[in-house]
Amino acid sequence: MNNGIIGTWSYRAGDWYAVFGANTTLLLPASERERVATLWALVDSGADFTQVLDALLASGLSTLQGFVLVGADVGPTRILLRGDGVRASLTTNDETFELEGAGTTTWVERTVDDVTTLVVTVGDPVEAPDFAIDGGLVRVSRIDLPPTGQQIIDVEAETVLPAGLVVEPAPVVEPEAVFDAEPVVGTEPAVDTEPDIAAEPEPEPAADEPSPIMAEDMEEEATEPPAQPPDYLQPWPEPSDLPPPPPYPPATEAETDPSTEPIPMPPAPPTFGDIPPPPPPQPGPWGDGGFDEPAPSMPPPPPPPPPDAGDSDHDGLTQAGVNTDEFAREQPGIPGQPMAPSVTRPVAKLIISNGETIDVDRVVLIGRAPEARRFTSTEQPTLITVPSPMHEISSTHVEVRPGSGADHGSAVVTDMGSTNGTVLVQPGLPPEELKPGIAVQLIPGAIINLGDGLTIQVARP
Amino acid sequence: MTGVELHHGAATDVGVVREVNEDAYLAEPPVFVVADGMGGHDRGDVASKIVVEEFARLADQGYDPRRGPDVIATTLRTCQARIGEYDAQQRARGDRDFQAGTTAVVALLIEQNGEPKWLLANVGDSRIYRFNHGQLEQVSVDHSVVQELVEAGMITEQEVASHPERHIITRALGGRGAVEADYYVLPLSAAERLILCSDGVSGMIDDAMIGWIMGETDDPRDAADKVVAAAVEAGGRDNATAVVVDVVGLAEDTPYDSERQRMSLEEKLGALP
Repeated sequence: MNNGIIGTWSYRAGDWYAVFGANTTLLLPASERERVATLWALVDSGADFTQVLDALLASGLSTLQGFVLVGADVGPTRILLRGDGVRASLTTNDETFELEGAGTTTWVERTVDDVTTLVVTVGDPVEAPDFAIDGGLVRVSRIDLPPTGQQIIDVEAETVLPAGLVVEPAPVVEPEAVFDAEPVVGTEPAVDTEPDIAAEPEPEPAADEPSPIMAEDMEEEATEPPAQPPDYLQPWPEPSDLPPPPPYPPATEAETDPSTEPIPMPPAPPTFGDIPPPPPPQPGPWGDGGFDEPAPSMPPPPPPPPPDAGDSDHDGLTQAGVNTDEFAREQPGIPGQPMAPSVTRPVAKLIISNGETIDVDRVVLIGRAPEARRFTSTEQPTLITVPSPMHEISSTHVEVRPGSGADHGSAVVTDMGSTNGTVLVQPGLPPEELKPGIAVQLIPGAIINLGDGLTIQVARP
Repeated sequence: MTGVELHHGAATDVGVVREVNEDAYLAEPPVFVVADGMGGHDRGDVASKIVVEEFARLADQGYDPRRGPDVIATTLRTCQARIGEYDAQQRARGDRDFQAGTTAVVALLIEQNGEPKWLLANVGDSRIYRFNHGQLEQVSVDHSVVQELVEAGMITEQEVASHPERHIITRALGGRGAVEADYYVLPLSAAERLILCSDGVSGMIDDAMIGWIMGETDDPRDAADKVVAAAVEAGGRDNATAVVVDVVGLAEDTPYDSERQRMSLEEKLGALP
C-alpha cells in the first residue's frame, strides 16, 4: 500500500453490513443480506475494486438502495457512494472532500491521492464506542480509517459475526460476468513411457508460481502510524507476490499472467503399441460428484461462529481469514439437506438385527464398509459396519442422524444412493422405498430394511 | 492393528525452479504425512519439519488407535504451538513480521469397533488420493480459494488450473489461532493405495496422469518416484513430494457395488454431471 492507507479500520455498531477485505471495503444496507453473503467471500479473499464492483452490480443497480465501496489496493483511494444518508469525508494533507450518496441516479465516485483520514457514515449519527477491525464482516453505522483514536477496544472475538448476524449465502449471482468460462485446460496427459520433457514448454520464473502462499510480505506500516493499538491489530498483508488479479471483465487469458495460460500439452503419439491409453477423467474429488456436494440451490444454513474465533486474528497469514470456508463448508450429509448438526443428545436408538444398538446422537453411517467424509475432530460420525453376505447392502448404505428444522428432536434416515435401495416401514403406514438423498423422519417403531435380511428397528433413546 | 501389512514408498524433489525444498514427509507405518512449508524467506522448511517431527513421535511412541481424531488434533495443536514459538524467536531477533506456515496431510491407521481403518486429515492444499480398482479419486478437499470458488459455483473445475489465486490457501498451520483439520475415515478395503502429495505434484500433473502412473506401477516405492519425477518433468515449478501406501493382503471387495452406488446416486438425484 504505497499510500499506507489500508490497514486497520475502526467501526461503530449499526444496521449496515460492512465487509473489510484486504483490498476493498464494502458497505451494504441491512436489507442486502443476501448480497453481503455472496460478496463476503470475494471481498475477504482480497478481490480488487473492479471485481467487487462487478459482482456488486451483477444483479442490477435498481434493486440496490445504497452502498459504499472503498478501494485502495494500489495508488489513490477510490470510493463509490450511493443512497440516502450515506456520507463520506476524505481528508488529505491540504484538502477535505465531503461526499454524499443521496439523490444520485447511479453513484458518486471520487478518486483521491494521499488520503490521510477517511470517514464513512451511514444513517443517523450514533454515539457509540468504536471498535478496531482489520478484516471481517460486521454491522456498522460508521467506519474510520485510520481508526479513531478514542476507545479502541479489542473485540477480536466479535469481529466475526457480532449482533447475531445470520449469513445465508444466496445462490451465487451470475458467475459468468465475473469469471469468463474458459476452455478446458489440457486434461489429457501426455502419456509417454519415457516422458519427453524437452517438449514441455515454458520454464517459468519462480515468481510466477508462488508456493501456497499466505502473504509473505507484511505491509510496511504507514509512515505516520496513527496511534497504533497493540499488535493484535496487524495490518493486512500486502499480497505482493501473488499474481495480480486479471482485469475483470472481460478477462482473457492473453492479458493475464503468462503462467495462467493453459500450457499446451504436446500431442502424445503412441510410440509403443502397448501403451495403455490414459484413463478417462476420473470422477473428481468427492466434492464434485454430487454425492456430498450441496445442490447449487441449497443455501447452506448459517454455521455457528466457530468457538475458536476469539483466538484467531487476521494477522495476514491466511489470506482468506478465519471464516471464509464457512460458506462452502460441508458436513457429512446429503445434498439438498440442511447440514448435519454436530453431536446432540440422543434422539433415537437403532437396534440392528445383528444385535447391535446405536444411539443417534450424531451422524450415523451404516453400510457394508461405510466411509465418513470431511468431518471435524469433534463431530466424528459413527460408522456401523453390517454384514452383507449377498452384497445386497452398499458400502455406505444409509445415514441416520438427528433431524434439524421441522425434524428437530427426532431422527431422520436417508438412503445414500445405495445400489439396491432401502425400504422403510413406519407404524401405521405402508412400506415406503426411500428416495436417495431425501431424508425421512423416523417414528419410534419404524423398521428400516437394508436388504440381505438386515433390518434396523428405531426405538426411543 | 495387528494383521495390517503396509508397503510404502516416498519421494521428494526440490524441483527445477526453487532452491530450497520446503516440503517434508514422514513414512513410518502406521503414520504417513506430507507437509508443504510455505513462504521462502520465512523458512517454511522449518514449519514442515516441525510437523514431521511431531507425527514421528506418534510413530515412535504409539498412540491410542481408538481415539484417532483426538490424536491428530492434539498433534496438530502441538505443531501449531511450536511453529508459533519459532515465529516468536525470529521476531525477537528483529524480523518483525516473521511468519512460518505449512500445510499438512496425514494418514493414520486407527481402529473402530475393532476394525482397522484409515483416518485421513488435511489442512491446506496438499492432497490425499485413493487408488482403488484402477480408479484414482481425490479424497481430501483442498482448503484453497479456488476450491471455495468451485464449491460456490463461481468457477468450474477446469478453470482452477489457470486461476490466478490457485495458490492461496485458506487454512494452514502457523500463525495465531486454532487450526481445525478436516477428517475422513475409510475402511482399508476402500483404499488399496493411498497417495499423499504436495501441490508440487498435483499442481504440475493432472489426476489422470497420477492415476495412470499408479495403475502401471505396482511397487509403491516406484510409484512415488515416478509421480514425483513426472511432476518435475512437467515443469517442476514447486517442490514435489509424494508418499504412496499400499495395504497388502486385503480381501478383494467387488468394485461393482461402489461404482454402481456412486452412479446411482447421481442419476437418481438427477443432479450434476
